[in-house]
Amino acid sequence: MSALTVYAASIAHAIRTSLRDRTNFLLQALGMVLNDGFFLVLWFLFFAGFREVGGWGRSDVALLLGIIMIVVAISGVFFGGYRDMAATILKGELDSLLTQPKWVLPRLIARESIPSAWGDLVVGLILLSTTAHLAIVQLPLALIALVCGLTVYVASGTLYASLAFWFAGARSFARDLTDFMLLFSSYPGSIYSGATRVIAYSILPAGFVVLTPVKLLRTPDAETLALAISASTIYFTLAVCAFHFGLRRYRRGDVNASLA
Amino acid sequence: MRFMRRRSDFPRTADAALAAFGIGLRQAFAAWPVLMGRALFYLVVMAILAALWDKVTAAHLPGTLAAHLPEGALTLYVGVTEWITLSVSAIHLRLEDDIRSGALEPQLLRPKPYLAQRISESLGGAAARLIVLAIAGIALLVLSGRPQPPLLAFMYVAVLGVLGCAIGVLLFTFAGLSAFWIRRVLPPYLIVQKLTFLLGGLFAPISLYPRWLFRFALATPFAAHTFFAGVQIIAPSERFFFFGIGLEVLWIIALSALIALLWRRGLARLLREGSP
Repeated sequence: MSALTVYAASIAHAIRTSLRDRTNFLLQALGMVLNDGFFLVLWFLFFAGFREVGGWGRSDVALLLGIIMIVVAISGVFFGGYRDMAATILKGELDSLLTQPKWVLPRLIARESIPSAWGDLVVGLILLSTTAHLAIVQLPLALIALVCGLTVYVASGTLYASLAFWFAGARSFARDLTDFMLLFSSYPGSIYSGATRVIAYSILPAGFVVLTPVKLLRTPDAETLALAISASTIYFTLAVCAFHFGLRRYRRGDVNASLA
Repeated sequence: MRFMRRRSDFPRTADAALAAFGIGLRQAFAAWPVLMGRALFYLVVMAILAALWDKVTAAHLPGTLAAHLPEGALTLYVGVTEWITLSVSAIHLRLEDDIRSGALEPQLLRPKPYLAQRISESLGGAAARLIVLAIAGIALLVLSGRPQPPLLAFMYVAVLGVLGCAIGVLLFTFAGLSAFWIRRVLPPYLIVQKLTFLLGGLFAPISLYPRWLFRFALATPFAAHTFFAGVQIIAPSERFFFFGIGLEVLWIIALSALIALLWRRGLARLLREGSP
């Protein structure tokens, strides 16, 4: 079996497990719908009071939020292990995976499927199909934009979690970095300038997770498309390399496991 | 296991809680790279939110609230609310871990009440963060060259902010205890977080809301968590300061009672049915 087949089998199992307890699944998914609803009310109140931010209106922010919700949703459903990867490393739970012949990373990110992510998926799809002002002909471009954003998001989550191979306090730090990447991804791109713009396109790459995809859908051109694809390739490569080198440390016993 | 012991046990429980507070404080300072990282995030978040509000107020769009906003005031307000929320430690994750992994049960055999110990430890961690983030925030304010609020405002903010942070720890505890019923506490945590955004005025003062929504938000623990302290930095008022203290203390008592109730119910379920 290839790594991809092992990943597919693992994630299918994780999704089935997440669906098994229906009450728990529904509570989590509906909880997320409620959470997203509060967030949308907040933005609704904001635009009722202030109308626009640096040229970004309500439909632009709806597009931005729709994309980030779907990116987070797909990450949670199909790559849910990224969320607690740092804790998994620090608890020494990689040991059992190291005894098996297949790649560790795909198995690690397929360990869990997060039920609440389905709530994000529902709200994200509703947003994109209603208030974001997207036409049906934009669907292929929207899919490309989503795949690029998703790759950068999961790769960044993996990069942050890989810090656990070097740094014992990385559990909350990795979560914080992921949450702040989300925070950056939830605000209109027009507010970023100078240092914040540099951060948004590097350490906390909200620029590539959501702002470039939004630009690709609003003003599509070859340059933006190339930028989105290049960024996703670079972040993917960085994540795989960081995890690989970290795993080598782990195999040598240089990681302070069971500290989480 | 009971949340509160018999009256005769109270001094020992309080001593243990105080010791746990000290442990939390020292642990947070010992993990200084994490603390520095948090301070850095605070600065980054402030850079984003300052950019947002400066952009909105600079536009002065006619017929919008932007025309009535005082220059730079909302940045100061958000600086205070973020100082409080970023100081609250992630007790919900610790509770989720202990409940899900079965690490809670052995703790119940120990002579000290588990939950009071965890909350005290989290309050200790929160205290360390409050100190470090306050230093970072004041340094940022001085370096930014923005007009500085009067000294009295800082005193009001310090008192209300500390109490508000304690309310935050209790709210997160509330979210964490949901692990007795659901596998992941992320949704309840995010709901608490978003309610803090919406009803706590994390993002903008709730006084900008329509009158009915403002009154409703004011009566919730979320306003006590962030708004009372935040508003003092832009409009210091002795009357509102004492009003804020009263409500914050009231919410600390009410939330503690609710948490005790939830803990008993959850524990009974856990011992009967196991973790979800």
